Amino acid sequence: MGKRLSVAVEGFHPSTFLSEETARLHDLARGKKVISAVSGGVDSTVATLVARQALGDNLLPIMIDTGFLRLGEPERVKERLAKPPTSLRVSLVHAGGRFLASVKGETTAEEKRKKFRETFYQILKEEAEKEGCEFILQGTIAPDWIETQGGIKTQHNILEQVGIDPATTYGFKIIEPLADLYKDQVRTLGRHLHLPNELSERQPFPGPGLLVRCIGNVTKEKIRVLKEATKMVETSLSPFNYEQYFAAVIENRFAKDPSLETVSETASEALGLPKYEVHADVFEDRVTGVKGDQRCYGLLAGVKLSEESRETYGWLQDRLRQLQAGIVEKFPDITRVALLVKERRGGGPLSILVRAVSTRDFMTAAVSPVPWKILKDIGQQIFKEESVSRVYYDITPKPPGTVEFE
Amino acid sequence: MTTIPVVYVKGQYNHLIVRNLKELGVESKLLTPSVPLEQLESMNPDALVMGGGPQSVRSPNQLTGELADAARLIRQVKLPMLCICVTHQLLATAFGGVTEAAQKPEFGPVEISVIDEGRILEGLKPSFTAWESHNDEVVKAPEGFRVLAKSNNCEIEAMRHDNRPVFGVQFHPEVSHTVKGVDLFKNFLHIVEET
Repeated sequence: MGKRLSVAVEGFHPSTFLSEETARLHDLARGKKVISAVSGGVDSTVATLVARQALGDNLLPIMIDTGFLRLGEPERVKERLAKPPTSLRVSLVHAGGRFLASVKGETTAEEKRKKFRETFYQILKEEAEKEGCEFILQGTIAPDWIETQGGIKTQHNILEQVGIDPATTYGFKIIEPLADLYKDQVRTLGRHLHLPNELSERQPFPGPGLLVRCIGNVTKEKIRVLKEATKMVETSLSPFNYEQYFAAVIENRFAKDPSLETVSETASEALGLPKYEVHADVFEDRVTGVKGDQRCYGLLAGVKLSEESRETYGWLQDRLRQLQAGIVEKFPDITRVALLVKERRGGGPLSILVRAVSTRDFMTAAVSPVPWKILKDIGQQIFKEESVSRVYYDITPKPPGTVEFE
Repeated sequence: MTTIPVVYVKGQYNHLIVRNLKELGVESKLLTPSVPLEQLESMNPDALVMGGGPQSVRSPNQLTGELADAARLIRQVKLPMLCICVTHQLLATAFGGVTEAAQKPEFGPVEISVIDEGRILEGLKPSFTAWESHNDEVVKAPEGFRVLAKSNNCEIEAMRHDNRPVFGVQFHPEVSHTVKGVDLFKNFLHIVEET
């Protein structure tokens, strides 16, 4: 960290960064082949383009289809990156079955992330051996290592910073051209490299993909429903300028701890509404948060308001902040609060959570005020899926939540 | 060029402090709190900023290695200093104040009421929104310090030494959602230039 001059002098200068970084990469690789792990996201795309300037045809972009990508995504990314100005020939490695098998039976976020990371690097190792590569290039950026090092969450692409030596563990070295940059600086660099908007401004998608939006146990059905819900949420919210918006899935199983019985009461007090108009359920599966710079793998409260109160959501914006803060302040084990948008009787065992936030650098995030009508429309669409009986909107900023759920 | 190292106590936002300072034309980098004083001096720093972190300073005699080192820096370094979040609490306890678990911890947006601008909060009266993330809080400022700001949940959101340019803030001026945080860094730079 702190090793690049271009970031040290008054702000960020893409051209200085490029010339320094390409020179460094050129010296590092010394004419050898380098595999670049791409996802179609802005970080890995920009990292790959920077490296191509230094390495030319010695750079081999590959994309691992983990099975946790969005509907049609692997093919779409491959096709998009093949076109100018990126013109990258990406080879797809299909490994959905291996990833699903590796997380089978794991229910906690960290274990799932670690299993994912293991499988991810195992596959890269096999690819590196096939190609005779010494180096793997990846699009790690500053918040990735800051969060992993600080114990907030295990990012799938962080090894060296947490004391795992990739050379002895996997037999290759890792190159991270963007490790000192934040997302907005990467986007600036992307624009400087003439990336089209749809790529440079693309909303982030986590490395482990839908795995970290599938809260708790991973099943084929949960992943399938989540893929459909993700498409609906992305389509409905893309006209708005939220930095990040997506769906997550959780099972309707609720915690029975007696200390949580007063959550409904706290919620009604925070909102200044009569008790009978407010009800809170606390989910059993845990979600990731961050309180006082510490990881907090806590509970999620789902709050239901009576119909009339919900219809006045507009005036409730500020109240919702009080609702969330009131609950999280009082119950140290609760990290996040979501508001019920729609429910139906006799539906299946799943809830879909909708999240939309505004953020510059993903270090802090504010809840975006999605119009209530849009949320209801999304809920209606999602009910096409038989196994979903509730749709919630997450009203937790970061902190105490994180952008993603696991 | 002004040089202001940032002491890294493992907080997620410590790197953002460096970023803020660099964007204001200051030379800055992260230093671990165990940095020997001679090494710090050899950098010719004009001031020091101390970041936040996940540890607790509630028991001043049982500080973890990092915070013990940071407390040593707070006591020994005679430069203008800005201490954020956990090091604000450490600044308080290092000089005889008291830090306890907060009755109402604060996470996310908080309205900060300015009592006394004390130079560091110049232009921020009467109030501004800052983002926070803390389980503990300073409940008693040390002697020789005065309280500059408070919130509904927390009585001591900012404080300064009466005579020296040493400041503590509970909130995070370095995160982008604290929109006026950059004003605080600018004020700090002005103070540093005049010192």
